[in-house]
Amino acid sequence: MSTIDPRIHQALDGEIPREALPPELRRQAELLDAAAALLAAASKAESVEERVMAALQRPAPPRRSRLVRWLVTPRAVVLRMRPVWTLALAAGLLLLMLVPTREPRTNLGEEEGIAQFVARFPGARSVAVVGSFNDWRAGSITLEDRDHDGVWRGVVVLPAGAHEYMFVVDGERWVADPLAGRYVEDDFGRENSLLIVRPVLQ
Amino acid sequence: MDVSGAPSDVEVVARVLGGDREAFGLLIRRYEPGLLRYAARMLGSRDAAADAVAEGLVRAYRHLASCRDPARLRTWLYRIVANRCKSHLARRPTADVSLDEALPIADPRDNEAAVERAEQLALVERALMTLSPEKREAFVLKHVEGMSYEEIAAATGERIPTLKMRVHRAREALLQALEEYR
Repeated sequence: MSTIDPRIHQALDGEIPREALPPELRRQAELLDAAAALLAAASKAESVEERVMAALQRPAPPRRSRLVRWLVTPRAVVLRMRPVWTLALAAGLLLLMLVPTREPRTNLGEEEGIAQFVARFPGARSVAVVGSFNDWRAGSITLEDRDHDGVWRGVVVLPAGAHEYMFVVDGERWVADPLAGRYVEDDFGRENSLLIVRPVLQ
Repeated sequence: MDVSGAPSDVEVVARVLGGDREAFGLLIRRYEPGLLRYAARMLGSRDAAADAVAEGLVRAYRHLASCRDPARLRTWLYRIVANRCKSHLARRPTADVSLDEALPIADPRDNEAAVERAEQLALVERALMTLSPEKREAFVLKHVEGMSYEEIAAATGERIPTLKMRVHRAREALLQALEEYR
């Protein structure tokens, strides 16, 4: 139940001119205006620019420590399964797997695993994978569509653990992996796909 | 480039992503006054606000490539700082917030008008801090930062009808508090 005349809201929201308010309502609107102006003009805070720029000089925390922090920090995790029929033929499949290869790569560490990305983007000119493993910068992991059937594939070695990621189509369109099965909402209100990389068994 | 000759957000973001780290300073100088003002109103403390804004800006830099629409960088930055503020509020042992740090200290050499202005500000700040964080956020973004409801929705992730309701409730509560103090 509103305790003030709705015309005050209309005037403050620009839906009616202030002049349309009777004097008493105009006084109340001006009181709120004055309060906001006081808050806006309050004394200036000290700049954080120097502090931020100094922090940027330092390298980002190692992925492992960020992962540990991510795992131990309480947070809301959104788990959502999407209807397969909408995307089964048209979208990608993320297959994360441990490859018990008989001929393990010599440069594959114990704390690394193999992630295979498969996504269907017919007509796309390029598809890249960005995520917490490459600081969300496109270009370092690109998928290929060798037979031009719209199915883009790529295999990469990633550190074992949880990684958030998205596909970047044609360098500008960010798309969550429709069949990732696991999603997390990040600080920016975006829903990222989540994959878990398991370490290679020795 | 805008009419003032300053590079646009889109141009600056492209420079930063191209490796020009110092260009990020342009964005800091452009947006930190509003971000600090907003965070101080949310947290009731200048020190906590500086921490939240600094953390938010570092995160923004590290995730700049994931900013899908650099033309709307402002609301993207507010969203990051808003989340930092929520984290700070969640870590506090109680919901009580000391306003001491945020209150201007009247200097004896100030004239009467300045002292009165400081008292009015203290009154408004006290009234503002009686609001819930959600209503306070909506009021500050709308009336102090001058955002449209669409921009507030982008910065908070809330729906416009919800935000309008919060702003309306905040106005009512503030007006009531201010009238009582008069």
